Formats: sequence, C-alpha cells, structure tokens
Amino acid sequence: MAGGASKSCAVPPAGTRLINVALAGNANVGKSVIFTQLTGVSQTIGNWPGKTVEKKEGYLTFKGNQFNIVDLPGIYSLSTYSMEEIVSRQYIVSDDVDVIINVVDASNLERNLFFTFQLLELGIPVVLAVNQMDVLRARGMELDLAVLEDAMKVPAIPVVAVHGRGVHELLEEVIQMVQDGDFQRHRVAPNGFVRHDHADAAVATAVDPRRLKQRYQPPDRSAILSFGKEVEERVAIIAGAVSSAGRVAALPYPARFVAEKLLEGDEEIVPAIKAAPGGAAVIERVESARKELEDLHGEDISTVISAEIYNRIHGLVDRVLTTRPPDKKGRRRAAVLDALDHLTTHSFWGYVILGLVLYGTYTFTFSIGDLLGGLLDELFGTWSGSIYVAFGEENPYVLIFWNGAMGGFIGAVGGVLVYVVPFFIVIEILQDSGYLPRAAFMLDRFMHVIGVHGKAIIPMILGFGCNVPACAGCRIMETYREKKIALALSSLVPCAAVLVVVMGLVGRYLGAGWVAFLFAVNFVVIVAVGRLLNKVMPGQCTELIMEMHEYRKPNTAVILKQTWARTKEFVFKSIPMIVAIGVAMEVLLMFRLLDPFNIVLSPITVAWLGLPLITGVFLVYGVLRKELTLVLLEVLAASMGFAIVDILTPLQMLVFCMVTMLYVPCVATVVVMARESGWRYALKVALLEIAIALAIGGALNWIGTLLMLA
Amino acid sequence: MGRSMERDAHPLYLSDAANGKRLRICRVDAGMQAKRRLANLGLVPGVVVRKKQAAPMHGPVVIEVRGSILAIGRGIASKIVVVDEVE
Repeated sequence: MAGGASKSCAVPPAGTRLINVALAGNANVGKSVIFTQLTGVSQTIGNWPGKTVEKKEGYLTFKGNQFNIVDLPGIYSLSTYSMEEIVSRQYIVSDDVDVIINVVDASNLERNLFFTFQLLELGIPVVLAVNQMDVLRARGMELDLAVLEDAMKVPAIPVVAVHGRGVHELLEEVIQMVQDGDFQRHRVAPNGFVRHDHADAAVATAVDPRRLKQRYQPPDRSAILSFGKEVEERVAIIAGAVSSAGRVAALPYPARFVAEKLLEGDEEIVPAIKAAPGGAAVIERVESARKELEDLHGEDISTVISAEIYNRIHGLVDRVLTTRPPDKKGRRRAAVLDALDHLTTHSFWGYVILGLVLYGTYTFTFSIGDLLGGLLDELFGTWSGSIYVAFGEENPYVLIFWNGAMGGFIGAVGGVLVYVVPFFIVIEILQDSGYLPRAAFMLDRFMHVIGVHGKAIIPMILGFGCNVPACAGCRIMETYREKKIALALSSLVPCAAVLVVVMGLVGRYLGAGWVAFLFAVNFVVIVAVGRLLNKVMPGQCTELIMEMHEYRKPNTAVILKQTWARTKEFVFKSIPMIVAIGVAMEVLLMFRLLDPFNIVLSPITVAWLGLPLITGVFLVYGVLRKELTLVLLEVLAASMGFAIVDILTPLQMLVFCMVTMLYVPCVATVVVMARESGWRYALKVALLEIAIALAIGGALNWIGTLLMLA
Repeated sequence: MGRSMERDAHPLYLSDAANGKRLRICRVDAGMQAKRRLANLGLVPGVVVRKKQAAPMHGPVVIEVRGSILAIGRGIASKIVVVDEVE
C-alpha cells in the first residue's frame, strides 16, 4: 500500500490541488496492481462516454494533493486499430490529464518501450514506472536506470508493484513534474531505488496543474526518437507541410506525430487532414512518400516504421540491460518455470492438466458453495420456525418481510453468492498466475470450430460462474466482430444459477444422465450459434495473436481486491433487486395477480411446451434471475403442500430446465451485453435465444409425448 | 540479411519449423491488420525469434520474440517466412 496516502472521495478538500494522472502501458505489466495499490477500494468501474471500453477511475490524497487516477486499457501501440487505442490516445492528449504514468515491465523492456516511444512522440509529461524489478533481478539481469533516463529524458522510477514498493516515489515524481514542468535528473540510490529530496513538495506552491500541458516544454529527444535517414526526411517534409498550413491546429497532436500517422494511414488523422482546406495536397504528398518508402524497403509502411522504432529500442536496451549468468537460485527458478510452461502446454499432459483445472474449479466452487448454502438454508429454516411461532404463519407482514424480503436475500446469498465468490477467486488465481492464456492456447483449435479464437475461452469459462462477468470479459477480444460472437456464446454458457436449477430439478429427480443430456444439447447449441454467427457476420474469424506472460505466484491481496471489485456489483446491485422481487412476488401471490401473466403466456407454455399453466410467470421471473424459476416452483409446491414431482411430470421437468437453460440470458447479462455491443445487438441475441429455446423445448415436448404414446 | 530476404522456391514457414529452433523472420505474408499487430509486438523482418512449441491438431505456435512470449494462430504462422539462424 502507498503507506501515507489516505483515500478520500472525488471532491478535493479546500486548499488542495487536483492532479489528474493516467496509467498507461501494455497489458499484463502490473498496471492494475499499481492502480489498486494507489486507489484501494475507492475505484469505480464504468465505461468511457459513448464507448464500450471500460474506464477505471479512483482517487487518493497524498502530501496535500488530490490525485484523480484513471487506469487506461492495456494497449501495445497508439494507433487506431482498436477502440481501446483510440480512447487511450484521445484521453492522453486531452486537457483532462496532467501527467501520464507509463507502466513498463522491466523483464520485458524491449516490447514495452515500443509504447513508451509513442508516448514520447506525443511530447507530453511522462513518468516511467519500471515494474517487476524483482523479476528482473531473479533472472540475473541488471537495469541501469540512470542511463535509461538520460537517453529517453524521462524520469524512471523502479517499482515492485505487488509489494507496493516505489509507488510512493511515483506520486512524488508526478508532483515534482507538475511543479517544475520539466524532467529532472535524479540520484539513484545504490539499491536501485530512487531517493528524492522532496521536503518542499508538500508545501505546494500555487501552481495550476491544469496548465501543465501548456507550460510543458518537452526536452529535445530527437537523438532517440528520430528515424533512419529515408523515413526521417519524409516525415520532416510532411510535418512541415502540415504545420505550416496550420492544419495541425485542430488536432491535439504534434506535427511530427501527425506526419508519422498520416504515413501509416491513421483512421482518425487522415480524414481530419483530408477535410481541412488544402488537405488533399498534403495527402497526395503523403501517398507518394509512402510509396517511395515501401519501394525502398520492400515492406509496407507500418512494418518499416515499427522496425525502425524497434531498432532504436534494441540499441538502447543493449546499453541499459546487463545479463549476468544467473546464480543457482535463478537457474532453478528458470528451470521450474520452463518445466511448468512445457508441461501445461504439452500436447498430451497439457490437456490432462486443463481437464483437472476445470474439474478442480468446479469441485472447489461447488463444495464451498454447497457447504455455505446448506448452512444458510438450515439457519433460515430454524429462524422461520421461530418467526412463524411468534407471529403466525399467515400474517401478511411475515409473508412480505420474512418470506419475501429475507427469503429473497437468503436465496441470493445462499443460492448464488456462495458459489460466485469462490469461483471468482479461482478465476483470479488462474488469470494472475498466467494459466488462462495457456488454456486459450491449448483450446485455440477447438474454439475455431465455434467461430472464435482461443482467447474466447477466458470469458466463456467465466460464464460457468455467471454470464455477467463473462460478457464484461469479452472486451479482451481484439475485433468488434469477435467480441460480438464471444458475447453471444458467453451468454449461452450455462451459469451457476442454471446449474442450480438443472441439478435441483432434473439432477435430483431424474438422475445424472439427463443432466448430461441437457448440457450436451446446450453445448450443441453453442457450437451451432457460433458457426451461424460466423457465417452471417461480415468479415472472417481473426487469428490468435496473444501474449503469454511468464508464470508467477499469484498475489493474495490483488486476488482478494479483484474478487471484491467483481462481487461488489452483485452485492449492491443484484441483491437489492432480488429482495425487491421477493417482496413483489409475495404481494402478487397474496392478491393472486399472477394469473393474467399465465393466461397470456399459455399458448406458449401450455400448448407448445406442454408445461403447467403456473410456470408461465416463473419463466418471466427467470429473466430477472434464472434460479428464480426453481426457487418459485419450490415456493409454490411448498405453499400448496405438494412436492415438485406432484406438479411436474419428468418430461415437463426436462422441458422446463431446457427452456430455462437457453431461453434468454438474464436481465443483468443483457444489460452488460448492451454495454459492450449496443442494445440492438443485445436484443437480437436475446430474441435469437428465445427462438432457440422455444424450438428445442417444443421439440423435446412433442418428441417426448410421441415416444410415450408409442 | 541479404540471403534471407531472397524469395527462394521452397520457403520455410514458421508453422513448419522445428520446435526449439532459432529463426530469423524474412517476411510476413499475412493480411494488413495481422501484419500491423505483429509489427507492433516487435515481429518485423530481420528479428530473430525462437520457436518454443506448437499446439496439436493444427493449433497455434508459441514463439519467443524480443524477450516476450507470443502465441500465434497457425493460419498466420503459415504465412511467416523464416530462415534458420546459425547459433
């Protein structure tokens, strides 16, 4: 934790100044860990306005300064190939941010600095957070930060994010930068950790950080940033043409950056320049320059430019990084990691391990969930007994507040939360340790059969716990097309709530064979829908290009905080909703207001699906939360003094479960899906799933009926 | 790089190279989008990579490039032309 830093709310107290900081960098470099260390539980997760990109924001006060910190999505470049890149680029250059903290992975410096170079091209205030210094040392490598700072002319702070080391110093550096508006040289302590004399930093001088961007004069970085002669000449000519015509004014980027992106055919900058007066001439010049360069190098322009940047970085990394032969401990560590990596991606043992991991996830989730859920049910039963004795079983207040509100609450906690939390913990461990990308690698081939690449397995595994985080997780897919397919498939994965219904009804009364049958049908539907969407959507399935970071020991604090962040939403948004529904249900039942629903739905439920009349309204409630279908069935049975077997025939149980499994993702899932892909698509998916559920449910009913007659 | 840039009659593709081999990238024949993404990740002509692994049943391949590990779908890997890099 950032020790002295205290958390506070969004409004800065009087007398403090507000500093806006953005955390930027590649995926998997520990950005989120630093963000969590800085902001703790004050973080909020939302979306960028009008975009389907996640925006994580948090606050803290430190040495009399109020920091507003935004965690940008993990990206590899500042081009416009993905929504994340566009959002990040526009935010980074906007006046909403004063200083960028660029988090880089010291143990993967070359690739990480590619992004840093693009930040420097933007000529904005950057502080480098060099994370994973401990991993670097464990590998027997030494990083000369002083040389790195000198070459790139950016302050570089060594950080070990998981232990919170260097996090303080980052903030001090940001304060320093806001005050000086310039890059300062540092003394590097022998242990590699920077020590500053920041005594005066606390005594904030009346500087308006809002104007840092205007005041900020980037140091001359031409020595490190300039390209080879051929490219540099042309970039300079285009930059000159762009800025002399004053066309760059409308764009928040420096002329040189605009020139480079024009050459690369940037989707934001090219149209903007084209539309400007005289822009056509500039574009013409760009086109001819691009053609010359492509002919000269025999490669397309983005490859040429990327290669030049990488050449620079390669030279720099050579100078700052020294590799000693690792000591005995380092060698053992490398051997263990290598063996683990080899084993988990082995063409036979890899699948065995994958199977064990999936099985283990299930066993862990359900043994803990069943245990806690059972205890809660027992408690509720005992309490109910005493309450009925004290106030009478037919007392309307008891019905509303105890059966309805408390019953709903216990149902939500004991039926869902106790399963969801352990599942999230396992997923976080798998994610944090680096296993999930390996699973994606192993399953890539299979996932292509259903129209997506291996990465989609990550949200889909999440879907077994709950479709809501699964759909939110679909943002890891690179293209919009794949994200949409992954969303539809994730929403079809049988979630924990569905499992509760299936196990509680078919599993309990008809046996495991029929459970397997239902899951097999669900699986076939997923494959079919994947193939269908892949056919009807324009474009084609993109291939996997995914980073597989080294295995690492999962950090308990990070796992618990992430689990809490995921659980928070369920606790504060879903549980109140479930309680409200519980109360509403009791009221509706009391005044017999349900019957109209049942009548309206009867052509579908009774005539087509062959279900009892009363189930119509259960299916309506199931849209809110799927496990309600079973819960309500049990409530009804109990209230009439029947067992479920008296209400439903075995065939009806099968049909009821099948429809519950497929008919529509729950409301929360639809909402998240809409947030990720727009309402149109989310509703289309919902309608498609209703159609599928009715078709298969109806078929099951009619085939079953015919077989029984025969 | 002279020799490696030549387009010989039987190019060696990343997908077909043996595991554990050090290889130099000659060219990437994939689509524009994939090419850009690979370039951003440091996979540009001239760079030396090490093929670590290939998933069975025509699955993706794993390479080490510039100190990071990438998994690349077999479709793209079969469009990346490489030559053996002498140790």
